[in-house]
Amino acid sequence: MLVLALALALGITLGLLTNVSVPLGMLTYLGVAVLAAIDACFGGVKASLEGTFDDKVFISGFLTSTLMAAFIVFVGDRIGVRELYLAAVVAFGMRIFENLGSVRRLMFARWGWE
Amino acid sequence: MHRSPYRPALVLVVGVLGILIATAFNTTTRAAEVRPPGRSGDLVDVVREMEGQRESLQERLGDLREEVARLEREAAEDAGMTRSFTQEFDRVRLNAGMAEVAGPGVEVVLGDGADVPKGADPNDYLIHDTDIAGVVNALFVGGAEAVAVNGERIIATTPIRCAGTTILVNATRLGNPYTIVAIGDPETLEQAVREDSHGSLLFDVYAKQYGLHVSLSRVTETSVPAFKGSMRPVYATPDDGGV
Repeated sequence: MLVLALALALGITLGLLTNVSVPLGMLTYLGVAVLAAIDACFGGVKASLEGTFDDKVFISGFLTSTLMAAFIVFVGDRIGVRELYLAAVVAFGMRIFENLGSVRRLMFARWGWE
Repeated sequence: MHRSPYRPALVLVVGVLGILIATAFNTTTRAAEVRPPGRSGDLVDVVREMEGQRESLQERLGDLREEVARLEREAAEDAGMTRSFTQEFDRVRLNAGMAEVAGPGVEVVLGDGADVPKGADPNDYLIHDTDIAGVVNALFVGGAEAVAVNGERIIATTPIRCAGTTILVNATRLGNPYTIVAIGDPETLEQAVREDSHGSLLFDVYAKQYGLHVSLSRVTETSVPAFKGSMRPVYATPDDGGV
């Protein structure tokens, strides 16, 4: 867990120091990408704890869900239904909380608190 | 045996997540800088603030103009300039509307009608820019030497126009009621306004029909302030050909 926290801190520091930013119109894409990444991370932690973690599955899952989310946002922009990105937000949001629940239970099992 | 969650791919994605979050943070911070909170969209506030700034600058401009006039007089004395030259200077300033003037004249007050009956066009019950422009023009016809509307001196380049519920004179927003002060022969001025086509309509017809609060009074002593704005001719240059 500590390594993951360090990686997160390192990423944030790196982003703040380089002061990278995107055009305002891309902010929705970025938000969905953040959600996709959070979702992937919880999914990855869960898989690790379950012992089913697989690099290929993990990376491909992260990339495809991010691309799909970006595609949904893009289509929403094109057909004039900007709120279509909410579909991606809701899906990722639900999965994040589901995975969080699983990780919590797996942690208990791991530390023998059950 | 539990496997450690520190898989390289997982650590990598977590790092990417951090960069994404920082990027989103940077972007929203930059967006907030472009449109500072409290001012975004609230253009009314911006306009009010600018008008306040302009007012203080106009006051300063007036002070500086007085200072310039005083220094010019002093300089003229020092340089031993002829009396007629300084008099000419003061006369030009007075004619240009750059000096406060006093004297006899008339005060015309134009106020909106109080109540608008149901179904009536509210525009009929309001004082419009054309009403003010008409009265000002009539006053000049009557030989007015200085005219001001709610303290805004009418000079050669003064526009009088409508701006929503207010009227702009010299780019200053004026509100109902409108007091037009003119310096000249009171009798001639009053006659000029009452006989003017627009003035007579306003005083004899609209005032009764729509309940507009219009009045005209002769005064033996009144004053008209100096022009408070700035004049910066860009296209006009002195043509010495005729001199």
